[in-house]
Amino acid sequence: MNLPEIIKNSEAYVAERFPVEKMSYSAMVVKKEVPVHRLSWAYYMGGLALFFFGVQMVTGLLLLFYYQPTVSDAHASVEFITDHVPGGSLVRNMHAWASSMMIAAVMVHLLTAFAMKAFAKPREITWVTGVVLLGITFGLGFTGYLLPWHQVAVNATKIGLQSVQEVGQYLPGAMAEWPRIVKETIQGEAAVGQATLSRFFALHVIILPLAMMATLGLHLLSVQLHGMSRGIDGPPKRQEKFFPTFFIKDLTVWGFAFIILFVIALCVPFESLYSYPLFEPFNPKGSTPDGIKPEWYFYFLYYPLELLPFWVILVGSTVLGAVLMGTPWIFQNTSRKTLQILTVLAALYLFVMTVFGEQIYHMFKG
Amino acid sequence: MVDAFFFVGLPYLAIVICVAGCIWRSRYDQFSMSARSSQFLEDGKLLFGSLPWHVGIITILLGHLVVAVVPRVWSSLMVIPAVLFGVEALGVCCSLLAIAGLSALIVRRITDARVQAVTTTMDLVVVVLLMAQIVIGLLSSITFRYGAAWSAGTVVPYFWGILTLQPEMAHVTGFPMLFKLHIIGAWVLIALVPFTRLMHVLAVPLGYIFRAPQLVLWNNPRRRREAVDATARAESRRDFIKGAVGIAGASGLLALGVSEKVVTYFKGPDPDPEAESALLQKKLERLQQTAEERQLELERQRVEMILVARYIELDAAKGKYFIDYAMAPGLAFKGKNGLPLLISAKCTHLGCTVGSQVNAEGQIMCPCHVSYFNIVTGQPNPGAPAKLPLPHLAWALVDPSGNVVASGLPGGEVEGTPSPELLAQCSLYITKPRHSA
Repeated sequence: MNLPEIIKNSEAYVAERFPVEKMSYSAMVVKKEVPVHRLSWAYYMGGLALFFFGVQMVTGLLLLFYYQPTVSDAHASVEFITDHVPGGSLVRNMHAWASSMMIAAVMVHLLTAFAMKAFAKPREITWVTGVVLLGITFGLGFTGYLLPWHQVAVNATKIGLQSVQEVGQYLPGAMAEWPRIVKETIQGEAAVGQATLSRFFALHVIILPLAMMATLGLHLLSVQLHGMSRGIDGPPKRQEKFFPTFFIKDLTVWGFAFIILFVIALCVPFESLYSYPLFEPFNPKGSTPDGIKPEWYFYFLYYPLELLPFWVILVGSTVLGAVLMGTPWIFQNTSRKTLQILTVLAALYLFVMTVFGEQIYHMFKG
Repeated sequence: MVDAFFFVGLPYLAIVICVAGCIWRSRYDQFSMSARSSQFLEDGKLLFGSLPWHVGIITILLGHLVVAVVPRVWSSLMVIPAVLFGVEALGVCCSLLAIAGLSALIVRRITDARVQAVTTTMDLVVVVLLMAQIVIGLLSSITFRYGAAWSAGTVVPYFWGILTLQPEMAHVTGFPMLFKLHIIGAWVLIALVPFTRLMHVLAVPLGYIFRAPQLVLWNNPRRRREAVDATARAESRRDFIKGAVGIAGASGLLALGVSEKVVTYFKGPDPDPEAESALLQKKLERLQQTAEERQLELERQRVEMILVARYIELDAAKGKYFIDYAMAPGLAFKGKNGLPLLISAKCTHLGCTVGSQVNAEGQIMCPCHVSYFNIVTGQPNPGAPAKLPLPHLAWALVDPSGNVVASGLPGGEVEGTPSPELLAQCSLYITKPRHSA
């Protein structure tokens, strides 16, 4: 293929994914329709994740008014928010719970989009931006975990970053040092300290949210351009209008989500799921307390990491990442039935590892 | 004597007349029991009179009812200044709304010929009495502030005394004239209920909210043709109003709650001096802790030897933590030969800090993923998550006069063999690792 032809082909490719003629209010909002069938509930998942992202933005901005990202003040300022600021514990608790709910919604969204083959042509860009959004969401979870600067936060971050360095042992020659250099670049100094806190703060508060919004813009644009994917093999029962019918239903779901989030945040402190000493301020001179573990949404990666040799996880997660990114091309000829079976298996794995991970770990390790 | 008539005699008279009259009217004159709607005769001005009037008066009456039924709950709420002010403000707003609505109704009733035709004397009496009663109520609530709070302890016991046949007019006889008038007005209105359109308050049309809309139309062919469209319009308007009321109510409540929270959130806490000093104390301690860490770091960059402990503090079974030259934790033990044994406490697996307690096999344990390290060799137990041994650290023993009497290298080479008596006086230092490169 010569150069003009390549340019022409890529132009056609982009034009098919971002059809300019559809970029109008009438095509994207007025004429958009949503199929109604037995899997229609899955259409609410993306919106739900978006809603929780909005909650995170608002509560996060509120927390910014009091949080101080220094190793001496971080923990004290978080305590100050929780114990003294009026409504502070509610805001903080909502931020913590909504982060978990957002990740849960994002995971279900991923699984259902996969099962419904919502990545099929011309929706490749939607899928790929979605995978990027998933990565950013996990990044926000990981960076946000460090900010309170208590024992569990710092130690879990240490362990998480150390596993980057662990990759080095499988690399040949001088490359073996690279992962360590990468790790120290991320954390900014030889050990997790003030530099790490400042960097994670910047990532959590500015960089990742901005990246999220940019990617989200592309994601939502392509969703509105191409409409909802049909999702099932046969014809849907009927179509309903996106605006206002589906939109109002979406808002209703958000309303219920907010009530649930609010009640939980009001009644159940997020930290009640852990034992207390883990929330003492981080002490670099003491020994690491028992029971350090990441947030529940990393269990699916964490418990296998504890049980299996590191290289198995490394290869596994690399393959998983590649498959996720390449899904629109790898599975383009797979039937929805097969995709649904794969989804059920994946969901089963995630569920079992998240809920019973600890029991499984103790079963093998005594 | 006058008080006794107005606050004991009149109430019982009013109650008896009201109850007996209502029973009589509902048995013998059922079809007159209505609000005698004149909407059919005049449908324009009515909306701007009837709606504000009913919204205002129903809210106010509900307030009166709640304080009468649950005075204790009510009083406990009125202790909160914001709630008290809010209730008072709501009351004044609703009175004004009711006065405005009632005025519009009065104007309509005396200017519209069709409405005039169906107006009875009793209607005019009731409307004037109502206007007087609500104006007096508003005036007394403005003149004697915080009635929402004090009425629970005065008017409510008086009211219950009347109902339970143990009248106790002392509760109200001391009131100012204005407020007495309000109470008397209330009893008069109650006595008038059976003889006027006021009786419609006993038949609250709750069903209107849920039943399908009904249209009242002139019966002629043209109107009947229009009826189909009119019904559809009415139904859609009804749906819209229901949705709008729901959304407005919900978003109003949400906005109220959120703004109340957000304002106090931004205003920040108002701690008492003791709490404030405790907070400052804590912040200072954390700062000092950070300063100490910074100092440690600086020391490790500049100083060749750093004090770990005095020799006699060392123990064979329990290590003493210190920070080594790499700013990582280390442990100091007393070895079998009586000389110090210094080993890194940063787990070679994922960097957790290893525990300081030595077990029977001469091992220390990392709590994160349970690796056991032999403190003499540094080696992890077979099958442990950690694969590499914990490195030993270089040390030096210094006698009180400042001479190095013994030193050890990570490889285990020891120089100098001090006597036990001298050892007891020595202090243990770590020495800066020499860069081989």
